Amino acid sequence: MTSGSSGSPGPRLPRGAGNTLVTRGYRGTWADLPRLGLPPVAAALVDGHGAAASAAWEHTLTPRETLVVSGRRVDEEQAEELRAAGFALVPLSGPVSPAAAQPPTAAQPPTAAQPSTAVQPPTAVRPPDEGRLWLMTSGSTGRPKRVAHTLQSLTTVAADQPARRWLCPYAPGAYAWWQVVTLSLAHPGQDVVFVEPDELAGWPELALAEGVTAVSGTPTFWRQALLGAGDAVARLPLQQVTLGGEPVDQSILDRLTDLFPTARVSWIYASSEAGASIAVHDGRAGFPKSWLERSAPGRPRLSVTEGELLIDSEWSADGFSGPLRTGDRAEVIGDRVHLPGRIASDEINVGGSKASAAAVRRVLLAHPGVAWAQVRGRRAPLVGAVVSADVVLTTPVTGATTPASASPARATTATATTVTTELTRWCADRLPDHAVPRRIRLLDEIPIKETLKSDV
Amino acid sequence: MSTLSKDSVRTMMSEVLVAQGKQLPADDATLLTDIGFRSLDFSELALRVEDEVGTELNFDAPGLRSIETVADVLDFLEQLQQA
Repeated sequence: MTSGSSGSPGPRLPRGAGNTLVTRGYRGTWADLPRLGLPPVAAALVDGHGAAASAAWEHTLTPRETLVVSGRRVDEEQAEELRAAGFALVPLSGPVSPAAAQPPTAAQPPTAAQPSTAVQPPTAVRPPDEGRLWLMTSGSTGRPKRVAHTLQSLTTVAADQPARRWLCPYAPGAYAWWQVVTLSLAHPGQDVVFVEPDELAGWPELALAEGVTAVSGTPTFWRQALLGAGDAVARLPLQQVTLGGEPVDQSILDRLTDLFPTARVSWIYASSEAGASIAVHDGRAGFPKSWLERSAPGRPRLSVTEGELLIDSEWSADGFSGPLRTGDRAEVIGDRVHLPGRIASDEINVGGSKASAAAVRRVLLAHPGVAWAQVRGRRAPLVGAVVSADVVLTTPVTGATTPASASPARATTATATTVTTELTRWCADRLPDHAVPRRIRLLDEIPIKETLKSDV
Repeated sequence: MSTLSKDSVRTMMSEVLVAQGKQLPADDATLLTDIGFRSLDFSELALRVEDEVGTELNFDAPGLRSIETVADVLDFLEQLQQA
């Protein structure tokens, strides 16, 4: 992904080195980012996108081994594990100055503006595995773990792309974050506007102001934006709309396709372990059944075994070669293969009858008044578990979070009861009896985590 | 822990049935099989009670086997709250 520079000595620059980055506190090209002087094996504990981009840029230019992760995600135990694994821990605050990563000395103590510059050296020093990039998984399926990649394995878009200005709302160092970053590093014309977590609610206005033409986010991210700032979202001149990180259903694809009829609406299946494996651009949920068992150079081999998606990909993380069991359910429906969610959390055993949380969620989302839904099993007497749902309405019942134990206004409670009764009947008309949600809670807003997911 | 009166639980039981297009008769001696009140319905009613009182109920009770009428349901849920 590098090309020759202008002839002066120094590292070969990535082809996208001249692309523009916009973060809080930095507006400039990759090439203009200050050099950090990171230790050869470094865990960059960043406080935002500016610091993360600087660490990524440093990695592209020097033979090193790097982990980029939000400092908030690394607890004391993980910090010690990293040090024992040979990493120097380097807290980075953005905007990053060239001296930000230097260890403090007696002659140059940390200043008030750079309070988090204390580098913690590794407890087991070792040489770098040059080029190695580490990702920390989200931990949504267990304790966060390190996954080994390289810039090459993360750069999954090979062909040059139309010039675009991307919005990147993903957490620094996440797999999806690296997907946007490597796209920008590898291809000229791919600018990036980063959104800090505390800016998420106002991202449509930021995107409008910055002339963003491509946005990548989870379905929860999109649903939240359409619910809270639909007018601003509709004004965006988007040419590319990308979804990933969660099950992508037809209802959200339809809404985005209707809103942006001239844009390419894509959904991506990717994970830290399997890499980016599936990209679908036809506006339909699921991928074509004909892609199963297909062998083609540069493309992963997809298969379904006992209802689970298996992936064999050259983009997988190191140590995950061969068919990788994804833990995601795969359902062949007609000519498509749908990926409705995690196997472990999808099945709800209701008195011996099995209900699929994904199927119930799909039915709820098909209701015109539902903006978002989450379905799970809830422990219950006699039958072991019943189906329970949290729902956000397109037109909220003001101030009513049900069940109404906090004595909200009587009229509001009555309205909430009417809505939940209607949703129960909607589901009863479309689902077997045991799969109908027995408890429906109305939420005022869509819950979203730093991963942009809501763990549906 | 707050507790619900038998009348309040009866109202909830009625809501469970009404949501399915059924009615709760006035006579508490009515058999559950006659009104189509099933295990799932009992589970839902129990969860409604739990949500309202704000705590989980302990259902490890042999009395579950003898629940045949509307009155049995109301009595049992009242006992559970007092346990």
